[in-house]
Amino acid sequence: MISAQGLTRAFDGVVAVEGLSFSVPEGALFALLGPNGAGKTTTVRLLMGLIGPSAGSATVAGYRVGSGSDAGSRLRRACGLLTEAPGFYERMSAWDNLVFFGRLYGIPERTLAPQLEHYLRMLELWDRRTHLVGTFSKGMKQRLAIIRALFHDPKVVFLDEPTAGLDPEAALEVRELIARLKTEGRTIVVCTHNLDEAERLADSVGILRRRLLVCDTLQRLRSGTDADGRVAVRIGLTEPAARYTPALIAQPPATGLSEVQATGAILSARSPADAVPALVAWLVGRGAGIRQVETTADSLEAIYLRAVRGGGANGQ
Amino acid sequence: MTRSVVWLFLAREWADTRRNSRVLPLYFIMPLVAVSLPILVALMAPSIVRDLQQRPDQGTAALIERLMRRPEFLGLSPGEGLARYLLRAVSGMFVLMPIAIASTVAAFSIVGEKQQRTLEPILATPITDRQLLLGKLLASIGPTVVLTWAAGAVAILVVDIVFIARSLAAPLPDRFWTVVLLVLAPAIAATVSLVTMRLSAKSSDPQATVQTSALAILPIFLLLVGAFGQLLTFSFPALLAASGVVLLIDVALFRMNVVRFRREEILTRWK
Repeated sequence: MISAQGLTRAFDGVVAVEGLSFSVPEGALFALLGPNGAGKTTTVRLLMGLIGPSAGSATVAGYRVGSGSDAGSRLRRACGLLTEAPGFYERMSAWDNLVFFGRLYGIPERTLAPQLEHYLRMLELWDRRTHLVGTFSKGMKQRLAIIRALFHDPKVVFLDEPTAGLDPEAALEVRELIARLKTEGRTIVVCTHNLDEAERLADSVGILRRRLLVCDTLQRLRSGTDADGRVAVRIGLTEPAARYTPALIAQPPATGLSEVQATGAILSARSPADAVPALVAWLVGRGAGIRQVETTADSLEAIYLRAVRGGGANGQ
Repeated sequence: MTRSVVWLFLAREWADTRRNSRVLPLYFIMPLVAVSLPILVALMAPSIVRDLQQRPDQGTAALIERLMRRPEFLGLSPGEGLARYLLRAVSGMFVLMPIAIASTVAAFSIVGEKQQRTLEPILATPITDRQLLLGKLLASIGPTVVLTWAAGAVAILVVDIVFIARSLAAPLPDRFWTVVLLVLAPAIAATVSLVTMRLSAKSSDPQATVQTSALAILPIFLLLVGAFGQLLTFSFPALLAASGVVLLIDVALFRMNVVRFRREEILTRWK
């Protein structure tokens, strides 16, 4: 549904995003993570066709981005966008605001009102529909903006910081709504700082800091599997690991040494179920005392921090 | 689609303007001034003419002599001719009125979008650049023009009643008033709006935008003020030509705005 190849954008010679290549299948939720100024909003604007790429290409919902005003118009009709700031006319009612944007999307009059009622009730704003948006709380405006991103029934939805500034209860409601959207088969891209949110919702994750530092399915990232399909195995020893370093480097069965720590080591194995018992037996056979062995999943936070600090999923 | 988008913007701008305490007073003050002036001229014409005739100076005498040679004043008394000429001169108020209103409304219309951060959601909809610009343009000049025409109609009605009450022929609308109200005023409103829309790209303060656009349109304004006292009040072809030139400027400005409109610029530089 979304495919980007070497997508690059520079502003006055300053590169905002560079060489982004990734794809998001139909019905999947892709979380775009990254520090402030990493290029998340620029990426969304590129994919929505709101700004053109300096290099590279992308296709969204079957439309190539940046290929003329007619295609751009069709692309925008196929997508919904929750902007970073809600952006409503404060001196107009919630209903009038949504009717205005609904007509700009070309929603037929006969379906506009029922559609608005459906979403306003779903997001518990129906009773406030006649109130001026200027009187709304930030959370209410955010919910209204989510309605605007959805009411034209888009195939692809871009949500830029959907829970930013919301209280925990409102944030939970929005997360539940996003989860519901996923079950409806929509393709969703969420830009967020909230790693917990991404971990709960996303199928795949991209960690961005001008370049995509990491881009993979959440399952594979958390399992610790690297690009070659190898899993990290952490071994805790009862004595200094340095004693075994030459032996560990030499060739433990079906594993590779990644890192030697004070009283432990991190190794990688292609098939942990087979490799771990053999590795333990191999170490015990050489007189090592094993304190613990684990192949526990990485947290997204650990993956994120490693990527952002080091430049890649494995800190490379 | 374009027509519905234009109506949509018109309705939205008007709904927003009705609640904007900084714009709404203009909709009352400017028409009041524009309507009052011709009515005052009509009411005070006899005393003004009497004063001028009792204490004639060289300029007034030359003006009356020049007026009475014109075909449309043939058969009128010098006093009535002078009164009709003064009415023609004050029709300029119906050009100043859209300048004042349209520049303020256009400034709030564009900068207001920036302040409320509504431009990105609008640009994310399927509307085209041309539809957006045309919608914004007509939304800012539509109410201004309607108000100008309404004020003009009231002024014409009251002035005619005043003249008829004095057993004189109704002077308005003459062909000068017709062109000023129906062509020049909307054309000037469009010029001001287009200039303001272009300038507002670099501003985040509506008042600053109004002031900058006022500076930008000052040459046109001075040209009109200067010319209204002289050429345009005497020569109907000159008035038609001036209106035509302003319309041509509008077409050129609109095309330039469409060509130079950059969604990217708005999204990345409008703060």
